[in-house]
Amino acid sequence: MVWIVQGLGVAVLVAVAPFMWGIAQLVKARRQGRRGPAPWQLYWVIRKHWHKETTVPERSSWVFRLAPSVSMAALLIVVITIPIAGRVPPDWPHNMLTLFFLLALERFWSGLAGLDTGGTFGGLGASRVTTLGTGIEPALFAALGIVWQVSGNGAMAPLAAHLSTAPANLLPWLMASASVALVLLAEWGRLPVDNPDTHLELTMMHEATLLEYDGRFLALSEWAMALKFTALATFGWVVLGPHLPSLWANLGLRIIEIAATAGVLGWVESGLTKLRYFQLPAYLAVAAGLGMLGFYLAAGGLSL
Amino acid sequence: MDNSWIRQNVALKEAHAELLTLTATRNQSMRATWLDPVSGRQELVIVEVCQERFPSLTSVLPEVAWDEREIHDVFGYVPEGHPNPRPLLRTPRWPENFRPLRERPDVRPTWQDADPDNPALTVEGNGVTVMKVGPTHAGIIESGHFVFSLMGENVLHLDTHLFQNHRGVESLLESQTVDGVASIVTRICAADTVSHQTNWALAVEALSGYEAEAAVSLGRVVLLESERVLSHLNDLAQIPAGVGFQVAHQQALAMKEDWQRGLQGMYGHRFLFDTVRPGWVAPPDPENLLRLVYALRRAWTPWQHLVEGHHGFNDRMADVGVTTHADVVRFGGQGVVSRAAGKGFDARTLLPLYQDLRPVPVVESGGDVRARFNVRVREVEASLRLIEDAAARLRRETAAGDIPWSPQDGHSGQVAVYTESPHGLNVHDVTMDNGRVVRYHIRAATYRNWPLLAHAVPGNAVADFPLINKSFELCYSCADR
Repeated sequence: MVWIVQGLGVAVLVAVAPFMWGIAQLVKARRQGRRGPAPWQLYWVIRKHWHKETTVPERSSWVFRLAPSVSMAALLIVVITIPIAGRVPPDWPHNMLTLFFLLALERFWSGLAGLDTGGTFGGLGASRVTTLGTGIEPALFAALGIVWQVSGNGAMAPLAAHLSTAPANLLPWLMASASVALVLLAEWGRLPVDNPDTHLELTMMHEATLLEYDGRFLALSEWAMALKFTALATFGWVVLGPHLPSLWANLGLRIIEIAATAGVLGWVESGLTKLRYFQLPAYLAVAAGLGMLGFYLAAGGLSL
Repeated sequence: MDNSWIRQNVALKEAHAELLTLTATRNQSMRATWLDPVSGRQELVIVEVCQERFPSLTSVLPEVAWDEREIHDVFGYVPEGHPNPRPLLRTPRWPENFRPLRERPDVRPTWQDADPDNPALTVEGNGVTVMKVGPTHAGIIESGHFVFSLMGENVLHLDTHLFQNHRGVESLLESQTVDGVASIVTRICAADTVSHQTNWALAVEALSGYEAEAAVSLGRVVLLESERVLSHLNDLAQIPAGVGFQVAHQQALAMKEDWQRGLQGMYGHRFLFDTVRPGWVAPPDPENLLRLVYALRRAWTPWQHLVEGHHGFNDRMADVGVTTHADVVRFGGQGVVSRAAGKGFDARTLLPLYQDLRPVPVVESGGDVRARFNVRVREVEASLRLIEDAAARLRRETAAGDIPWSPQDGHSGQVAVYTESPHGLNVHDVTMDNGRVVRYHIRAATYRNWPLLAHAVPGNAVADFPLINKSFELCYSCADR
């Protein structure tokens, strides 16, 4: 049973990823007073790219051609390791450090791909993505540390279960939630960190590393970008959110939670401006600070 | 004589006069026309070109650097002592001795098969990245090639290569008749078209000694101010887009679109082409105008509250892309850019057109993106008041003479006329002989402001360039006639 639910969960998450992206775009459009594209627009875009000719820059190497697959593979493994319905089969590799390093791997390869073509925008994007990574990683690490501390092991287990038995963990839980929310905004490349909808090359971060891609590579990258959103939203809700007793109900709840996250993200994002690039370290320092303080509290360093 | 050219021009600059135009003619002479910003009196300084050379003013008057380079390109007169005599609009594709305004070639020049990429001025050294943007851009904008020298995320130097779509309007205007000029001048630029049309009308009327009726003048004021509102609404929409502030961007675009549709309903054209001619103006509709202003105000007030109260947006605009008052004066900056840096010049205060409507220049002192944004916000409000005022007067005006005045044949002479376009002081220097144009020089406001943009960007983060660029929002096609 657990096997079936987990397998189905992975398939559903991968399949609905572009739709969830579409929900965020639709809410954004409505908030701005536009009609906006249908929420399944990204499926048509991916299909269009898939059927186009795929070209690669003359002076690019195998790194450029491999990078989209590596990103996609890393994110697929992330999805597979998350206990989507709250429980996983015995001996399932669902350590949080796996997630941490898979995200680092994905970032490393998108940076490499940006540099590989030798184009200025790709290099600028690679520089920004990796610089941002040096802020994201400690913040994420600290937030994961809280969960580890509370649950007693590195597994991606629901933290909420521990709250009922130990109310003192409420504050660390709040801090971990806030920290993870800030980090995920940065990981997703959404405002106020990065603007996924801009056409201004000079302001791009993640998009700049994709500028040279077309055809099937671009289709894969677009799907991976959408999958990153659903995967990390699932991770956040599994670890920090509520759980239902039934596996199937839990699976359904995940889908609703992700859709709601997309909607809220679209709504909030429309009213924000992008932060100055040089202010981003301060933004990520807040996330890391919350995480570290929460970790300290969870470890019992401060008796309340 | 050479010295007196430099001495007289520098003296006028030191007396705080505005340089209207600096231009040459094909019979070996050059002239500079200056404007006294208080009295509105014009001064003319003339110099003869000796053996294809003239003394360059650039080292003492840096604002004419482009004018002299352009004169070199199209007339072949060499500016002696110019510190940077690169071609401005000439490309390697032009034949060796092709000087388009010097003599009128009977045959079309054959373009050379050469690399059109003029070398750019860049910074060299360890760790410097050269980044090229354009001339084709991801957005729907005009063609401009920008070469950045970067150190990490910081801009060290910006070289702008404009003049990618040179149309030769000045050459096209030569030997045109009064009717022929109007349709060309209208199409110089869609953003400042009313200003260009009004300049031409004022030039013909000045040469004929005709004074337009009050109703015609008021009709022109309505058009000029409507164009300013349209252009400013567009700029006010683009600035939030530069920092991803989508709600403010889309709402301002919606206001602009409603305004534009209203203008189309009244004047039959979304960009107000062909609405002003010598002695004539497209008849305004005061009732509809007032309704349109009322509708715009209803959308404007909530939008203004949104942008003024938004912390993130105001933080992004502050202290970015600063032009100092000293730079604006030195480079002869115009319009919003100069008024945002504390230079209180607005040609509307000098124009007889505005009579007793008494426009007041809007001035801010910051010189940054926020100051330019605020100047535009306040100018839109001032323009709406002017439109209401003019519309109220037009309602009282009895439709006097319905017989349109048409210019008589055969007027001759030279005149420099100007209006305040949405982008600033827009000047036409017109010489006519026996009803035909001999020389027509157009100096739009953006021609002076482009060098200021290149000056304002170094020292800022490269990711802020779109924001700075949009706060200048300079027209390419006005500068590259």
